[in-house]
Amino acid sequence: MPLETALLAGLLFGFACYLFLQRSFVRILFGFVLLGQAANIAVLAMSGAPDGKGSPIVGGAGGPMVDPLPQALILTAIVIGLGVNSYLVVLMYRIFLDERTTRVDRTFRPRGPKPERS
Amino acid sequence: MMIAAIPVMAPALTGIALVFWRRPGTARRLVAGFSTLLQLAFAVWLVGHITRDGPVLMVAGGWSPAFGIALVVDPLSALMLALSAVTTCACVVLGFAEQSVRFEHPLRLPLLLLLVAGTNLAFVTADLFNLFVAFEVVLVGSTALLTLEADDWEVKHAFPYLAMNQFGSALFLVAAALAYGLFGTLNFAALAERANSLAGDPRLTALALLLLVVFGLKAGLFPLHYWLPNSYPTLPSPLGALYAALLTKVGIYALIRVYGTVLPADPVVQTALLWIAGATLIVGVLGALARDYVRGILALLLTQVGFIVMAVGFAGTYAFTAAIYYLIHHVLAMAALFMINGALILLAGTDRLSRCANLWRAAPALGVLFLLQAMSLAGMPPFSGFWGKYMILVRGLERGATTLVVVALLTSLLTMLIAIDIWNRAFWRERADTVLRRDDGRWKRVAAVAGGFTLLSLSVGLQPELPLRLATQAATFVLDRSDYIAFGKREATP
Repeated sequence: MPLETALLAGLLFGFACYLFLQRSFVRILFGFVLLGQAANIAVLAMSGAPDGKGSPIVGGAGGPMVDPLPQALILTAIVIGLGVNSYLVVLMYRIFLDERTTRVDRTFRPRGPKPERS
Repeated sequence: MMIAAIPVMAPALTGIALVFWRRPGTARRLVAGFSTLLQLAFAVWLVGHITRDGPVLMVAGGWSPAFGIALVVDPLSALMLALSAVTTCACVVLGFAEQSVRFEHPLRLPLLLLLVAGTNLAFVTADLFNLFVAFEVVLVGSTALLTLEADDWEVKHAFPYLAMNQFGSALFLVAAALAYGLFGTLNFAALAERANSLAGDPRLTALALLLLVVFGLKAGLFPLHYWLPNSYPTLPSPLGALYAALLTKVGIYALIRVYGTVLPADPVVQTALLWIAGATLIVGVLGALARDYVRGILALLLTQVGFIVMAVGFAGTYAFTAAIYYLIHHVLAMAALFMINGALILLAGTDRLSRCANLWRAAPALGVLFLLQAMSLAGMPPFSGFWGKYMILVRGLERGATTLVVVALLTSLLTMLIAIDIWNRAFWRERADTVLRRDDGRWKRVAAVAGGFTLLSLSVGLQPELPLRLATQAATFVLDRSDYIAFGKREATP
């Protein structure tokens, strides 16, 4: 993995973890978006340094190509991540509508089993 | 061979067909029930076929196994597929018994079937990235079901579930990237072959530990289990039974597969597994002891998968046989307990132990079933929990892990205490002011389905020869890495 890519992925992971630990749903959501990007960059870095290599297209310029498999993997991961993240947005919005707050710590009170209607 | 894809395609196609068949009705239920019944018949045939004729390999699109998406059905996969099929069938029928067709949500059956397609994909896949995809399919399907019929109190608890599991998925992606960077492939057989030459390398240990975090999160192991005990009790009982039987077991299956077949044995990982197993067992059972509603207690008792993790940490064919036998026991026992609890909720109107009473007079058969199944979970001798725990703890004593064995025994004792507490308060206690809903006839139908499933679960302990033989065969193949490598490299027959 090239050093600058490694640093970038590490930085993104750090930011994502920082955002997870916040109390606001919005920040947590941004944490998830960043986390997905960080993981994708880590996968991309596995195709090695792209110096002088062509893009992996059949019938392209010829010569050495970058490894196409990580790019195929990222494509799948991006699609799945988009789906799950959009579900997360809707879920958070629903909780916001129910609770009228974006603070996680206020959402989960009272703790314990579901209160029963008498 | 196409038969490797059928356990994935059959529920997926049925589910997609039911998405377009919008109106719930008796005919729709019959189609869904018949489909799961056929899948069960196929899964049982598959177990027989695989144990007799050896494992089956299929590579999608006719690629060579190193590049294509490989699906492998070996004895362990076949066993997991059979367990998945039998619990799916029972849970679908239980759902029909519990809920009148007028109140059925049109998306419940399709999502359930898509979820099962995801778990089955995880059981047959022989590719690390495809395993990630299977985990995501399971996650999406299960979250959708979790929020489908949820009210505003329940929907909140889907958030930690989705958030934690999505975090785990991102880590899994990084682990897959690491594996690809180290070995240049993601196919299990090729990974196993190339990992042999790297045995003892710290990068391999890092990869194994990262995968341990991912699978431990999915399986609900100790430091990362807190998404589990509050989300599962929000489910309706048929879905609760299915989740309890299958979802965390996907993580356990991945643990057995990856640490048995793909990666060479690593002492650091084994020590970590043993510590995590002990902590999971004791923390889970103490949490269950502190709760007073049955669904919550059962959800925390899912942490008894710690026994399987312990066996994986002990390594060796004997320990893996015990792990797989205990896996069979745990899938069936937890599903049976959730089903019995479904009947209990319908009859008592609640599963809060402080308000339950008088059930023994109304439903003695249900009480007997519950007691036998709970004894089995705690590990009383003639039942399946005992054989599994016995084998695992014997291996533990051979390895000299006395502390861990004591912790495991203490956990079993506390499980027994919990079982007796539920029994005493819900069934045996008599209170004049507690009224049962006897006029609601649904509990009898639910109890009948739950009873049938419980008898199946108990028979695993009363007739242990067949499950043990299957478990031995599965463990032998899982641990025979050279055999798996040779098998995986073979060109697939079209």
